Amino acid sequence: MAGIHPETELIPYLRGELSADERARVATHLEGCAQCRQSAEASSAILSSLARVVEGVRDPDWAEYRAGLKRKLRASETSSASVRERWRRMREDLRLPVFGGWPSMAIGAAAVAVLAIAIVMHRGSGNSSAPGVDQLELQQDLSSTDVGLLANYHVVEHLDLLENYDVIEHLDELGPGNPQNHETPS
Amino acid sequence: VEPSDEDLCRKIAARDGAAFELMVDRHQGRAYRLASSILGNEADARDVSQDAFIRLYESAGRFDGRSRFSTWFYRILVNLCIDHQRKNRWWKRLAPLASPGDNPDERAFDPPSTEAGPEDDAMLKQSISRLRPALAKLSPQQRAAVLLQTQEGFTSREIGEVLHCSEATARVHVHRGIAQLRKLIAKE
Repeated sequence: MAGIHPETELIPYLRGELSADERARVATHLEGCAQCRQSAEASSAILSSLARVVEGVRDPDWAEYRAGLKRKLRASETSSASVRERWRRMREDLRLPVFGGWPSMAIGAAAVAVLAIAIVMHRGSGNSSAPGVDQLELQQDLSSTDVGLLANYHVVEHLDLLENYDVIEHLDELGPGNPQNHETPS
Repeated sequence: VEPSDEDLCRKIAARDGAAFELMVDRHQGRAYRLASSILGNEADARDVSQDAFIRLYESAGRFDGRSRFSTWFYRILVNLCIDHQRKNRWWKRLAPLASPGDNPDERAFDPPSTEAGPEDDAMLKQSISRLRPALAKLSPQQRAAVLLQTQEGFTSREIGEVLHCSEATARVHVHRGIAQLRKLIAKE
């Protein structure tokens, strides 16, 4: 065996694609390498069988094939014509009387307006996502009042709001979290 | 004197219908057979090869003549075949390529008769019937590379032009494709 196996050059060698130098190098290698010789023979057999596979493909009905091709071609031409027409109309529509023959200016002005609106909206949404100082204080107040209610939640959950308004009113007089200190509705 | 493919292509770019007809006459058989071998399905081969001719008609003006017309045209065809296979990959997994004879509505695969005796013919048919499903297991690039070489006689450089890769990569596609076919056939 001589040098690296020229695996990817074996088929080009068999097909006579290689330059004289490359061909000589592969030939020398093949003389001393039984593995590559065997590989080249097997590849050659596969290549000739493959040629038969392709020959074995049966032709379609060519008249039908050509009729189908003509239909597709007509459809393609119609579609291309309609696309061209749509573009022509779009170009005409863009030539508004206010902007005269300057559709690009109209598009540019519209883009600037959209951008300005987007910036304003983005700033607005940024404020709402971060609460101000007043909002935070209000939230803290609510939280501290809610703690008493939560401590006596086991009482609250048994009350009918309309019928036990007195109990609710004096809820803060109950011991925090003591189940024996509450009145249960009858 | 018959006009060359390149001349016809220039006429097609100028919307010469007769030139297009002549071009289709010349290439329809080879285009259909190549598509059929790559796709393994006659109906798909018909559609895709017709689409390739439509693309040829639409983009003939873009053929710059730097490569052979056949290389340019088969690039369109092979790309369409590969795209078609990619789009239908999920479907192919559910319904693998039908073997010849599975569908009575489709024409049965029929290798051409050879001059060899009936015994050799049977062996050849057997070998081909094993190759066909093995071909379907190659990657689209490998299959296209192998078939462009065996069917169209393309060189590695031309295969590289069709597949948008270097000559060395085209050689690797062919080598790996043939090696894979050998392995698959040996397994059976």
